Amino acid sequence: MASNQATKTEGTEHEAAPILQQMCIFATVLFVSSLISPLFPKSFPVPTPVIGLVLMYVLLASHIIKLYQVEKMADFLISLIAFLFVPSGVQMANSLNVFTDDGAMTGVMLIVTIILATIILLVVIAYTTAGFMAISRKVFHKSTDVE
Amino acid sequence: MTWVNFFGNALDPKVGGIAFFGIFLSLAVFLIGQYLFKISNGFFLFQPLFVGMVLGIFILWLMAKWFGVSLPTFYMSAYKPGGDILFWFLNPATIAFAIPLYRRNDVVKKFWLEIVLSLIVGMIISLFVIYYVSKIFGLNNQMIASMLPQAATTAIAMPISGATGGIPAVTAMACILNAVLIYALADVLIKVFRLNSDPVGAGLGLGTAGHTVGSAKAVQLGSVQGAMASIAVVVISIVVDIVVPPFAHMMGLF
Repeated sequence: MASNQATKTEGTEHEAAPILQQMCIFATVLFVSSLISPLFPKSFPVPTPVIGLVLMYVLLASHIIKLYQVEKMADFLISLIAFLFVPSGVQMANSLNVFTDDGAMTGVMLIVTIILATIILLVVIAYTTAGFMAISRKVFHKSTDVE
Repeated sequence: MTWVNFFGNALDPKVGGIAFFGIFLSLAVFLIGQYLFKISNGFFLFQPLFVGMVLGIFILWLMAKWFGVSLPTFYMSAYKPGGDILFWFLNPATIAFAIPLYRRNDVVKKFWLEIVLSLIVGMIISLFVIYYVSKIFGLNNQMIASMLPQAATTAIAMPISGATGGIPAVTAMACILNAVLIYALADVLIKVFRLNSDPVGAGLGLGTAGHTVGSAKAVQLGSVQGAMASIAVVVISIVVDIVVPPFAHMMGLF
């Protein structure tokens, strides 16, 4: 709990860093990640943003970057995510033929399967986690309270 | 035909670099979505992202008809240049999830083993369920292989799909639909399946099923959910990298 308190106050102690500095940190992390990404073999792709997320987390955890230096930019970008996804959604205009190539029936079945797969992933992962949490609680007597 | 002349630049592939229309359209349809969502008191089909996608495609389709070109052609020349600029910002937006993750580093330190185990075991169970559901709906092996890697981010899911005998474009569609669906349905699904009692599980599920959009949703639900969804985006991508090819091989998909 103590470490949590520390991270929480860390952000409010300082005034937020100037927005250009925050952008520069993001740009640097992305650039370095883009240099690391091609080092992974073709059969084991790890894209730039995924490396960037890990790199940013490592930099924060090792206190090289402080929360106040990236917090504002990060909150802003996260609040934009749904909007930033609009071009990806509209991109489907380019490949609607994927759903009609093998006949309308296959297309409908494909969409139904994708809807079900989305729900399956959410529910199975959530219930599996609840299961492992219950094991930790009952078998190893570990407190699983958060918040 | 002054409209065609006025809009002619967007239809000419040689000057297709103009990005203003794509950016304008993306913002306009998303804001219309937000407005509809507000006046309908949060009806789930009026989620801004879903409205933006459907309305955006519909407007492009109408305009393509109007100009007498095919929808993909019109999309490529008129929308894509602007859309790509906005799309690029998903890169910094993805790494931004390191911040909600670090804010709840206490939860990560306490439960890292449970998190990793849940994602690996949950992913394997999900693969079996998705495989048999696809079978029930009569999808062929090629389509099933395209369904399996969809939990990873698009950049990982597409090559894995291709390597296991699937169609990368179908997998990309699945990844996009995952995100749109989770953003629209998350509240309903959380209520129906009572996922609220376990914030760690809800967060991991949202990050897995909805990628970064699911994580943005999780951040709204709470700091623990947000942190867990962020970690799920990274770990599940690695898990898909490792687990899906042997699974597809085992099921005889390639």
